[in-house]
Amino acid sequence: MDNTNSMMERLDEFLLDVQKPSRYIGGETGSVVKDKSKVDIRFAFCFPDTYEIGMSHLGMKILYGLKNAVPNYWCERVFMPLPDMEEQMRARDIPLYALESLDPIKDFDFIGFTLQYEMSYTNVLEMLDLAGVPVLASEREGLAPIVMAGGPCVCNPEPLVDFFDLFAIGEGEEMNLELMRLMEVCKKEGTTRQEFLRRAAQIEGIYVPSLYDVDYNEDGTVKSITAKDGAPAKVRKRIIKDFDKVYAPDNFVVPFTQIVHDRAVVEVLRGCIRGCRFCQAGFIYRPYREKQKDTILAQTKALCENTGYDEVSLSSLSTGDYKDIVGLLSELTDYTTGEKINLSLPSLRIDRFSDEVLKKITDVRKSGLTFAPEGGTQRIRDVINKNVTEKNVMDSVRIAFEGGYTNIKLYFMMGLPTETMEDVEGVYELAKAVIEEFYATPNHAKGRPGVAVSLSTFIPKPFTPFEFEPQLDEAGVKERQAHLKSINNDRKIVISWSKYDLSLIEAVLARGDRRTSKAIYAAWKKGCKLDGWDEHFKFDKWKEAFEECGLDMAFYANRRRSYEEVAPWSHIDMLVSREFLIEENKRAHAGVTTPNCREKCSNCGVAKCVGGEICRAIR
Amino acid sequence: MPSVNTRAFFSKMGRAKYISHLDLSSVIIRAMKRTKLPIWQTEGYNPRTYVTFMLPLSLGQEGEHEAMDFRMLEDVPAGEIRDRLNAALPADIRVTEVTVPKDKNTDITAARYRIESSADPEKLRALCEKEQINIEKRTKKGSTIVDLKQLMTDVELDGNVLRVTFPAGTTFNINPSLLFEAYAAEYGEKVKRLRIIRTNIYSGNREFE
Repeated sequence: MDNTNSMMERLDEFLLDVQKPSRYIGGETGSVVKDKSKVDIRFAFCFPDTYEIGMSHLGMKILYGLKNAVPNYWCERVFMPLPDMEEQMRARDIPLYALESLDPIKDFDFIGFTLQYEMSYTNVLEMLDLAGVPVLASEREGLAPIVMAGGPCVCNPEPLVDFFDLFAIGEGEEMNLELMRLMEVCKKEGTTRQEFLRRAAQIEGIYVPSLYDVDYNEDGTVKSITAKDGAPAKVRKRIIKDFDKVYAPDNFVVPFTQIVHDRAVVEVLRGCIRGCRFCQAGFIYRPYREKQKDTILAQTKALCENTGYDEVSLSSLSTGDYKDIVGLLSELTDYTTGEKINLSLPSLRIDRFSDEVLKKITDVRKSGLTFAPEGGTQRIRDVINKNVTEKNVMDSVRIAFEGGYTNIKLYFMMGLPTETMEDVEGVYELAKAVIEEFYATPNHAKGRPGVAVSLSTFIPKPFTPFEFEPQLDEAGVKERQAHLKSINNDRKIVISWSKYDLSLIEAVLARGDRRTSKAIYAAWKKGCKLDGWDEHFKFDKWKEAFEECGLDMAFYANRRRSYEEVAPWSHIDMLVSREFLIEENKRAHAGVTTPNCREKCSNCGVAKCVGGEICRAIR
Repeated sequence: MPSVNTRAFFSKMGRAKYISHLDLSSVIIRAMKRTKLPIWQTEGYNPRTYVTFMLPLSLGQEGEHEAMDFRMLEDVPAGEIRDRLNAALPADIRVTEVTVPKDKNTDITAARYRIESSADPEKLRALCEKEQINIEKRTKKGSTIVDLKQLMTDVELDGNVLRVTFPAGTTFNINPSLLFEAYAAEYGEKVKRLRIIRTNIYSGNREFE
């Protein structure tokens, strides 16, 4: 505890001068503090964004609980300090520390990041630097700390290879413990860092980038990726076969200050049966697996009782797809209503939004409603395989209006493959139809209806059928925005869109290759960090960085990639086959939809990899 | 429903000093929920556990004897309420005593503080011994000049530790950090380390009960 106390004293000198200091001191209920003398392996779990965002993330809570359940392993939390805090830390030579022990993370065995979105990449560099750990993997010496990353973004780890010693591809529950066990062995044997990495590469799902060579063609595309030192030619993602039995936390660290999702969260299913062609999560988290009703109920109870939260939300990519959703909600609401707990259901698909479901969630408390038709016309919705019709949308909003709602938020994407101005106008037409539906609903609530239309720029992502597609360029985006603006004469419809510059960088980083690592480094050197925040995002610095590295952003973002091109991520196996993605891409261009996994197997390749029994259980 | 007014005295030390007054209430309410004690909730559409705090503590200050009130729906022994709350609270918030309230929060007149600081003890002594210690006190309504000398009582200075009593309560409250603002103004140097601990609260010339 000596260090904890002396660090506390140093923090006391200035913490009152920073915003919301309780984010930086730990000590919350549910946080795990161990006796250092009895701990063999220490893991700094880093979320490269603010405390409020990171603390809302379920994956972190799962891995935190799981690792700390092993007596001689200690996992602690680390978040990105905001500029006011960082400035103080740098001025006082306080290295980035973990919230439980307040110990500097540079002395830990692992520094592990979860990468949830591309715009957090520069935060990783900033955090490593603030920790006093060399930002470049090639400059690190000694066995520890091993700097690693997991999370959805690492399905294309290539833009990050300069910074990480290894990546954990796929579901982390088993892999993380296996790595920690390996570290225990290597520490005892006193092996080198290289030896640890060589052995780690033998663990299924672990990708050690230094064990792969990449060659390029003259046109700048990847020619080949070659494994060495016994590393596998293809790194196959890990999945949890028995999802119902996998570790789930029965307690959370309950923060002192309000966070983004300040509630209990229970995971009900993993993967998604839908196959919306733009959605990376829909492919990389396959196969689809559900937890048993009893398991979900028991986990909900335990979590609510242990945390004291009066709100619980069911988490998944599409909760409405749970096979017996009505039965599940009935059992859950029996418990939550009795305990005066508010049950919330994010991620409900429009076509699964039934009267019964709405009744269950509005029994306790009313919140705003968001629907995501994604595309404005049936044609474009067929292209993206979002199997939702205008009738589905109208049925849902009618139920909502009957249920007392007046305001609806509609979420769309702009710049989808094959999109025409007609599809863009369709967005407005759909919003207008929702307003008309309000007045056509006999028992609608009093008040004026409102539709908030939110448009984001489509970003092609790896391991989706759209990984071959160009991103719409700036001129195209501006033209569509101007057109939508000019046709909207209804003040009940408010249209907003995301910033183009930001989606361009996101597109570049999503499908970048090893050379983009250099540009990320250069951008960070120029002061880029907290890129996800409008007020901190510096597009001109990013542009300069790419120019200085001799890299063309359009090459990564706006170019159509052929089916034959070797993708920078082609040595990563997310179980979904490339043949399937190509087939789906062709179907998209032909405007043909694909049935969901429950209706018919689309032969994505996952069933073959996992033996088929998991997929068969879907139906 | 009949309910029993209940008062808990608690300490809020260490890391808990960074929990703001606003956040403290949700920290306590969630802890109460975890205890499963029969604590009264407001009625209505969004029922809420009802807790009131006697005297807000400034962010960054610690308290050894803070008070909060709530209502029990059943008669649970005081010791059991204390123990169950302590099992559910963060380590740096400890309930020391559970009683039946005698005084109202409007009865609070003063609070005593123990202040450990890096201020030069001689300079601090000289400041405390001045005829007048005028300093600007800012409130939501504006600012006034107060003479701390007239307001501070029972001053004990022992090395780096100052013990002092200031007026406190719902109508007129003096934050002891004002004394160190006066120090900074007097000597042109900010006190780097300042640990302010509220050790007791008073109702007239006796302890608040």
